[in-house]
Amino acid sequence: MMKRLIAACLVVASPLSAADFSEGSNAKSWGLFGESMATFEAEVVDLLCNVAGDCANACAEGRQLGLLRTADGELIFPQKNRQTSFNGAGTDLLPYCGKKVDVDGLMIEDEDLPGAQNIYQIQFIKEAGSAEWNKANTWTKGWAAKHPEAKGKGPWFRRDPRVKAAIEADGYLGLGMTHEEARAATR
Amino acid sequence: MKWKMILAAFCLAQPAAAAEGERVQVTGEIIDTWCYFSGVMGPPEATLGTAHHTCALWCSAGGIPVGLLGDDGEVYMVLKIEGDDQSASGDTQLSLASHEIVADGMLYKRDGLNYLVVEKVVEDRGITNITHEDWGVIPPFAIPKVKK
Repeated sequence: MMKRLIAACLVVASPLSAADFSEGSNAKSWGLFGESMATFEAEVVDLLCNVAGDCANACAEGRQLGLLRTADGELIFPQKNRQTSFNGAGTDLLPYCGKKVDVDGLMIEDEDLPGAQNIYQIQFIKEAGSAEWNKANTWTKGWAAKHPEAKGKGPWFRRDPRVKAAIEADGYLGLGMTHEEARAATR
Repeated sequence: MKWKMILAAFCLAQPAAAAEGERVQVTGEIIDTWCYFSGVMGPPEATLGTAHHTCALWCSAGGIPVGLLGDDGEVYMVLKIEGDDQSASGDTQLSLASHEIVADGMLYKRDGLNYLVVEKVVEDRGITNITHEDWGVIPPFAIPKVKK
């Protein structure tokens, strides 16, 4: 009986997995191969806890968070927020960890690239059912608060202490070349 | 249609239990998964190795998930490395950006993605994927002009 139910679940789940979540989306295109607009309700979950049962430190800052989609139970991996300066989605998701949210953004699916499935860029988020959307753009503000010593001109990634230390140690290509050598080797 | 709705409700009502893990050993390169999957920097090959090393540092420090691109062509999303659960901008993953490593750990497959909890970095071979000779630097502004 249970085997039949599981098989039936798989049959029912299949069309939902391929469902179109673009209706009502206001996400902006980034011109990415394999992108599609997607807005849906989901629970924000701690990935280590949800996937591997490692829950002792669940929802702590610095752990990757996922979106457990209400409509079909699929686990979506939000990798990016809406900022254009190399920022992940964790800072924007963390206040909602353990809660239901509505999200809007871009889903990345490429059937020719192994693993390119359920990858998401979050552009807007709000607590489920609330009226007001929030832009998913809080990462750099959080970084600035953590690194007052790095205040200055230019984007954060030129001023980040750890990135600067890594480049000073091993160069821009990671091979120990000087700045001049790395620049010459890539021109 | 009604029976499908009832069945869907039954299926979705099941608690989302953590999957059983499988012990694996994976050899591959620590990569920036957003650039690799999204194509924002060009084809996947352009987002690997030395050409993309500085961008990989930026993305790792920026909290974008890192993955281990295995020799089998599969991407393993890294959730923890040797007890460090800071998989969003953590120090351990940042120190391994673009490195070829041999990782021993537990693999969890879920909804088309591979999730990896690395229990031990068995071997760190450093940066071995020399791609800048083919691709230059990705993105082009990663190496600024030299100030004179």
